[in-house]
Amino acid sequence: MRRSLTIGVAGAGGDGVVVLGTLLQQLAASQGYFSQMPKFYGAQIRGGGSAVKLSLDAEGSSLPKDSLDILICFDWGKYLEFQKELPLRSDTLVLYENIPPREIDLPEKSFKIDFSGISQEATGAARSKNIVALGLLDRILALSEDRVKAAIDKNKELKLLKKTLPALEAGGHLLTELSFSELKLSPVHAALPKVIIDGNSAIAKAAIRAGSRAFFGYPITPASEIMDAMQEELSHGRGAFLQAEDEIASASLAIGASLTGAKSFTSTSGPGFALMTESMVLASSSEIPLVIVDVQRCGPSTGIPSKSEQSDLNHAIYGGHGDAPRVVMAPYDVEGCYRLLIESVNIAQYFQALVIFLSDQWLGQTPVATNDDFLKKDYSIKELKRPAGTDLEDYRRYRLTDDSISPMAVVGDPGLVYQTTGLSHNEKGRPAFDFETNQRMHEKRWQKLVPLCQRDDLVKVFGEEESSRGIITWGSSAQVVLDTINELGLEDKVKVCVPELICPLPERVERFIRATKKLLVIEMNYSGQLYHYLRSQIDLPRKTKTYNRAGGRPFSRKELTEPIMEIVR
Amino acid sequence: MTTESATFRTNLKPVWCAGCGDFGLLAALTRRALPNLGIPNYKTLIVSGIGCSSRIPAYVDTYGFNSIHGRAVPIAQGAKLAKPELTVIAIGGDGDFFSIGVGHLPHAVRRNLDITCIMVNNFVYGLTKGQDSPTTLRPELGEKQFVSPEFYTPINPILNMTTYGISTRASFIAQGIATDVPHLGWLIEEGIRHKGFSFINVLTPCVTYNPPELFNTIKEKASYLKDGELVELPASSMEKPWPHDPSNISLALKLAQSPVLGKPHLGIFFQGK
Repeated sequence: MRRSLTIGVAGAGGDGVVVLGTLLQQLAASQGYFSQMPKFYGAQIRGGGSAVKLSLDAEGSSLPKDSLDILICFDWGKYLEFQKELPLRSDTLVLYENIPPREIDLPEKSFKIDFSGISQEATGAARSKNIVALGLLDRILALSEDRVKAAIDKNKELKLLKKTLPALEAGGHLLTELSFSELKLSPVHAALPKVIIDGNSAIAKAAIRAGSRAFFGYPITPASEIMDAMQEELSHGRGAFLQAEDEIASASLAIGASLTGAKSFTSTSGPGFALMTESMVLASSSEIPLVIVDVQRCGPSTGIPSKSEQSDLNHAIYGGHGDAPRVVMAPYDVEGCYRLLIESVNIAQYFQALVIFLSDQWLGQTPVATNDDFLKKDYSIKELKRPAGTDLEDYRRYRLTDDSISPMAVVGDPGLVYQTTGLSHNEKGRPAFDFETNQRMHEKRWQKLVPLCQRDDLVKVFGEEESSRGIITWGSSAQVVLDTINELGLEDKVKVCVPELICPLPERVERFIRATKKLLVIEMNYSGQLYHYLRSQIDLPRKTKTYNRAGGRPFSRKELTEPIMEIVR
Repeated sequence: MTTESATFRTNLKPVWCAGCGDFGLLAALTRRALPNLGIPNYKTLIVSGIGCSSRIPAYVDTYGFNSIHGRAVPIAQGAKLAKPELTVIAIGGDGDFFSIGVGHLPHAVRRNLDITCIMVNNFVYGLTKGQDSPTTLRPELGEKQFVSPEFYTPINPILNMTTYGISTRASFIAQGIATDVPHLGWLIEEGIRHKGFSFINVLTPCVTYNPPELFNTIKEKASYLKDGELVELPASSMEKPWPHDPSNISLALKLAQSPVLGKPHLGIFFQGK
């Protein structure tokens, strides 16, 4: 019996690798198992290799382990592309279709299975070989056969299996001479079905929840799914949606919509984010609410479109000309993608601010099976502060107020007509080129965001906050950092700080650092962008270390073990 | 506080040079088109880019946004999509619409959202003090060609905004002249009334950076289009004049191709359904 299992599937396009992973994840989720399933794929549109690494867990949605408990391999050539992501151990169970090349050292428990032939026999076509493998996995993991059948009947995502039931059953009758009792999944405590959601779809759902009915985007890997989902949500007159001609246009369209009071947002990845730079500072300077979601991939330039990295932080914090204050948010898990996107829309509205939301390919494209309570929770939804009282008599769009937030009329509001501009402007929004106005308006725009520094709730701290050994990490890297600490049993020895609000920097991060003697900053970018940002804001302990490297492969527990042990010592 | 503006002018004094054609556009908008249409000022949004003419929103008492260079058209579309009941006008110069922002135009045309684009074409970058724009007319003025002959001789280095609009099948295409305020006001009115994307090219004098003979020639040779009446053709034309028919896009293309220093046509070139 195992609490958790890590299962890899590798093959060529058409082998049905992702379909197999997805179906297994869904079947397990219907029985209450948590899971995460990162996907690995190359740059090819079709026909390249692809792989998934599914972690099934009876207790929580843990990450896949470094190495595999089970590998299903349809194509060894393609497996070799992802070998570093899907390493085998001596006790890994390997189920493979073809004779492996010489460089593969097959573990003891390896079985060659003619998945295609069995599929051909059972269904008359070889292409259901992935379903044959699924049938076999169901049996090995001891997923309840009755419940699998019930789920297939009930769940529309599983309807593919109705047509391929003979293949599924044939798979279940393979290798019956062997007992795989050590690979059985332990039963879940409460067999509540899990919802399966990835960061990109969580973002789209959250936007709707936050009241956003205007989306403008441009296709880009690995963010396109957000646009696709928003198109679905906003079609048929349910909102404003446009696939723009480029990212300059998508951000500009969002600004235009926002002027009319629509809660608008756009999503992109690095290259598109770069194109949005002029819109970012326009939104910031003319105080038009704007949310930009950046699902980060490896940069610079085209980089590695399909792989995760955390290297757009500098651009998020500093990007653009002039002094343009903005808010930078970064979720570290799928629940955070949902909760923080709502928060981002709220902040953009309430503070009339530019909010940059940094997700990444890992978060965006990894389906996670988890409890759905975060989708059902109540979230407070904030609206624009609108003109009232004396504002209605003498409306000044950028009136200086105690909290530096000026009530905003939107285009269409009677009696409040104003003209605004990206030029330096006065309280009325009219061009003003004197130093005093320029200084005062800068002060206003920066000051209004200062209260965000008090948002303790946007900083997650794990472990004893007063401990002298601390790690700061952010985004999807936080998950593997926390997992590694748990695995090493160091929860009591080291505390971890994960700022979900990065800019402006919350005071809680400062407090965390002040109480720390040995600090380690972990992030996935070559130059240590968070580390340098923190250094610019706070005096870091003398014994501050960093562990950072370029993206292209997820952090493994193994590689993080040494740096973490080092600060605990 | 009134919800409708009698004059449609704010109390700001324009930054333009004395004699600038932009005053003509401002008058056409605030004294003709907007009052005639009777749309409340709060239901109107003017978005501009950057350039001399793009300063116009500050002078018009409607909602206004003097945004950034080249992006007036996408910003205007975003506003229109989010609040379709608004009247949305995008204003920019030849540099704004046809150089830095040109990539947005064909897409605005194919979407055919109901916005009105007014391109203030003064054939020069005025705000930055006289650089060439994509519509600068040097070869026609008989000056030396500005591309070295050892490379190649440019056949026609000028981008013709109006033929471009027609070739992308904009659903309303017109050309006006900033010095004829009533006519320009009427064109803008018609453009705003037109349900769909309207493009109005406004021939505009730049008194500071263009030689006076440029606009004098345009004014002198300009000819007004009237439905059903024979169009005037440049002296060099071998064609037979035809009765003007704004529903015929092929004829509109011919009008647009007429050299601006030969026979610039003023009026509605094309209006689709």
